[in-house]
Amino acid sequence: MVTPYLVHFLVFVLGSLLASLYFSFSEYDILNPPQWTGMDNYTKLLHEPVFWKALGNTVYFTILFVPLQTFFALVLAVALNQKLRALKLFRLAHFLPVISSWTVIMYVSDAVFNPRFGFANSLLQSMGLDPQKWLQDEHLVIPLLVLIAVWKGIGYIMVIYLAGLQNVPSEVYEAAEIDGAGTLQKFRRITVPLISGTTFLVLIMSTISTFQAFEQIYVMTGGAMDASSAGGPNKASLVLMIYLYQEGFSFLRMGYASAIAWVLFVILFLLTVVQMTLQKKWVHYE
Amino acid sequence: MGRQGMKRKGIGAIVILTFVLLISACSGGGNGTPSTNGGGNGGTGGQTEGQQQNQPQETADKPVELRLGYYSSAQTDAKMQELIAKFQEKHPNITIKTESSPYNQFFQKLDTQIAAESAPDLWLSDGVLVPKYAERGVLKDLTEWIERDLQKDDYYGLDFNKDANGKYWGVPQGIQIAVLYYNKDMFEEAKVAYPTEDWTWDDLKAAAEKLTKDSNGAYATDAAFDKNKVAQYGLTFFSITEGWMTVLKSYGGGVLDESLTKSIIHTPENKKAMEWIVDGMQSELLTTPSDLKSFQSNMAPFPSKAAAMRIGIYARTIDANAAGLNYDVTLLPKGPDGKRFSPVIANSWVINKKAEGAKGDAAWEWVKYWATEDEAQNEWAALGEAVPVKKSVANSEQFLSGKPENKKAFLDSFEFAGTLDVNAVWSEWVGKFGDNINRAFEGEISVDEALTQADKDVQQVLDEFYKK
Repeated sequence: MVTPYLVHFLVFVLGSLLASLYFSFSEYDILNPPQWTGMDNYTKLLHEPVFWKALGNTVYFTILFVPLQTFFALVLAVALNQKLRALKLFRLAHFLPVISSWTVIMYVSDAVFNPRFGFANSLLQSMGLDPQKWLQDEHLVIPLLVLIAVWKGIGYIMVIYLAGLQNVPSEVYEAAEIDGAGTLQKFRRITVPLISGTTFLVLIMSTISTFQAFEQIYVMTGGAMDASSAGGPNKASLVLMIYLYQEGFSFLRMGYASAIAWVLFVILFLLTVVQMTLQKKWVHYE
Repeated sequence: MGRQGMKRKGIGAIVILTFVLLISACSGGGNGTPSTNGGGNGGTGGQTEGQQQNQPQETADKPVELRLGYYSSAQTDAKMQELIAKFQEKHPNITIKTESSPYNQFFQKLDTQIAAESAPDLWLSDGVLVPKYAERGVLKDLTEWIERDLQKDDYYGLDFNKDANGKYWGVPQGIQIAVLYYNKDMFEEAKVAYPTEDWTWDDLKAAAEKLTKDSNGAYATDAAFDKNKVAQYGLTFFSITEGWMTVLKSYGGGVLDESLTKSIIHTPENKKAMEWIVDGMQSELLTTPSDLKSFQSNMAPFPSKAAAMRIGIYARTIDANAAGLNYDVTLLPKGPDGKRFSPVIANSWVINKKAEGAKGDAAWEWVKYWATEDEAQNEWAALGEAVPVKKSVANSEQFLSGKPENKKAFLDSFEFAGTLDVNAVWSEWVGKFGDNINRAFEGEISVDEALTQADKDVQQVLDEFYKK
């Protein structure tokens, strides 16, 4: 059993890891063998305004997305953890977008946010307000993408929270009720602290996946139609993974793209270390 | 929980890394070995190669397996397979194994195949990608073979694959050349005379103003016209080929100089052309890049009857015919000094540098079959995807009949046709140029600002690759 695993590890994990590390120190156009260039890619990266813009967009997306999704998923899970009629139906409804592909979501959201034909603009206009360009507006694009991502992803986090809520003993709530605690108080003083372990997991997972966000933005900003328009308008939604993809696969700078990947790794590593350190202050374990 | 978190992070990190790594890592080493012996079962090496170069007929004896790659749709795939079968009948010693996929996947896979030294022996390349592969040393130089076997005057567009040093890197498979498309019904409804071959871009704009209509039916010439609710554009305008390059060049401008390594973006000619475009877009006679996002595709406005005119390559006749439009085509308008320009993309057969000896010769046989045989040319032309490469076929009744009526305009346009300043970093500089001028198109920055910045950005891309 050890040998097959070792082969897998050496080829698909360690091998690829080391190869990419090597590429990140080389000039590599995929078509020709890599040439060692030392720190060039990293130096270039740090002086490249587009990289900083992409990093900024990524952070902005994450800061909006992670708290919003975590909070609403928790509220939803608590709501759907009660004894309701057709409970499973409600849970299923919230989970449906999770299993839909981004391409499908793109068409659905286009029906709403298409500047010419969309429902959102007809609504605005019927209320006498100015129509918006939505995803083609530099300032609206990220907030709107975040909202759609929350809508799509919330069901998944909700399920994780539902599992966590099963572990909160009902006696604690009963005791609190006897002491006269209201719904809000029970939520703040009991639910939130007792499932902080789940929250911690959710935060780490969503932060990492948001830093790697690619498909949604690629599809929804028109990348499938025209790869160069992904991340638009005017790079307002250009996140690190799209930047990496364009540099590596569209412009054949795989060395530079590998450097982006490693910088992304370092950022995520540091972020996780920070989160791990902070958890001692707020995560409650049984 | 802490441990689990740690593990999660580990997994996450690996996921990110593998994204880039896995795909690229497969390449391994050994890329540099010059292919002295051809690819794999290339036959008996040097001896055969020498023989066959002198007497190409002898290929007929030795069995060769050829891997041929192309991008396709379901329709074109069937026709391609049919032609390959016919070719194999004529060349019983050559067995062709095909590798085809839709456009995007095809080129993505091709890059990794080249890295892994498992690319096809010959493939169909988008015309704008030929220099990308040629200048990175992946393609076979076809100059000698073309000089030997093809009468250049008999074909359209061989020169569109010639580089600045006069070398040929491919033979066109089919040609895309742009003309002006117009919707006759819309012209009649607006009581505007059809475009003529004498039109200038200003004539076009004057007509566009009478053809641009809002959702209440008011034309741009009416006082009641609401430019926030355009339902029908005068001219749909998209990106480089069917957009700005055509206008820039007929105004006497352009993007790169003859060496294709130097930006010539900031010129008075380009400025005039850009002002023409921006003015048209700001009055909503032309579609802006963000207007196009409302449509299902950037190509959609004309066939879906949301635009009266378009700059369109030959392949656009397919959608226009399918939509049952009452349309025709004519030459693209002239610039202010009478200069004309029609952009061309010559999608081409290219041969892998590593296909040596019998394989290389067999690959060339296929290319020759494609270009010279009337059978191949006619069959492909019947699909309506491209203008045939062979002039006699393109000028035949069979090709010229059918819609649009004035198909001859495509052929007449060869007289002033040119490529899109295509070089090894074409997609990248087009992206950088577009980033800047699109902001001018949307009215966010001035034409001067856009051209200054585009000039800088494009030159940077060129310098990085060509390293001066």
